[in-house]
Amino acid sequence: MARIKAKRVGFRLDMTPMVDVAFLLLTFFMLTTKFRPPEPVVIDLPSSHSEQKLPESAVLTVMVSETDALFMGISSQSSREVLFNAAIRPKLEAAGYTEPAVRDSLAHFRLAETFPVEREELSRFVTMARYADHGLRPVVRADANAGFEAVNHVISVYKNANLLTFNLVTVMEKGAR
Amino acid sequence: MGMVDGPGERRGTKKKQRRRRRIGFSLDMTPMVDVAFLLLTFFMLTTTFSKSNTMEINIPPATGEVRVAGSNVMTLRITDNAVAYCSLGDERPLRIPLYDAHDPRKFSLSNDLRSLLRRETTANSKLVIVVKISDRARYRNLVDIIDELNLMKIDRFSLDDYTPEDDLFIKKFA
Repeated sequence: MARIKAKRVGFRLDMTPMVDVAFLLLTFFMLTTKFRPPEPVVIDLPSSHSEQKLPESAVLTVMVSETDALFMGISSQSSREVLFNAAIRPKLEAAGYTEPAVRDSLAHFRLAETFPVEREELSRFVTMARYADHGLRPVVRADANAGFEAVNHVISVYKNANLLTFNLVTVMEKGAR
Repeated sequence: MGMVDGPGERRGTKKKQRRRRRIGFSLDMTPMVDVAFLLLTFFMLTTTFSKSNTMEINIPPATGEVRVAGSNVMTLRITDNAVAYCSLGDERPLRIPLYDAHDPRKFSLSNDLRSLLRRETTANSKLVIVVKISDRARYRNLVDIIDELNLMKIDRFSLDDYTPEDDLFIKKFA
């Protein structure tokens, strides 16, 4: 026993290959990680067996929280700016905001992944967003326990905006069948 | 830790030997590897490759009608307490719970409802299922029904508004 221990005193292992692999993986994970944007509310998505993936770009999301509050999000910043100029700027100017204040809120709006929307205004916002970018893919991201009435409102807004094909966001079902 | 264990004792010897000094040069990489692995672990554990799944649905346009014979229509009315009322045409609706009572997680629709859907669609290939969900029901119900219909490869279904007449219709037979 004592002799074996004595052997290991000057022991050296070439760590280079391991370090190479470690850095390779590290680089891979660092480059592929995309941090999830902060969500305004926690949404407990319903589960389904669907395996279709959500497209990453050009998405118009309407979120419905558990308390039936509505949030809207557009994936591209330029569309957000168009939407801001069309829908929000007139309102701010009418409320007596100065030009720098409007510009400030535009900068804020461009960076906001989602923003709350009033029920009555949703239709106008969806129409404006569609006007900003025709290729936007409408998506409903609703909490499993949201009331159907609120979700139905979103669906009818899409319907009136002539967005007849849309996606419902779900998560993969964990229970085996 | 953190020391350069090169042949330091030779430092300050003749200049001729400077080049030779680097032959046996080794740097203690342990701290760097420690940090690398720490970051690697962090990124590996925080990365989730799960992109959300979606279900695509098509809804009929607000204007324009498709006429279907009444006998080919099965109406599925979902009320707020997760009970489905299935009726062929204007027949008396069958009252079936949407979820099995012993399935607390409510992953799938009840066996009764599934077997009914399967039976009716195989019996009549022209059957159109109209799903009407009460405003007081949950969004979960909609997703579960569409998911189930997708799994059964039933694509002849559509969503319709739940009106007070539907309430009356259910009450009439209750």
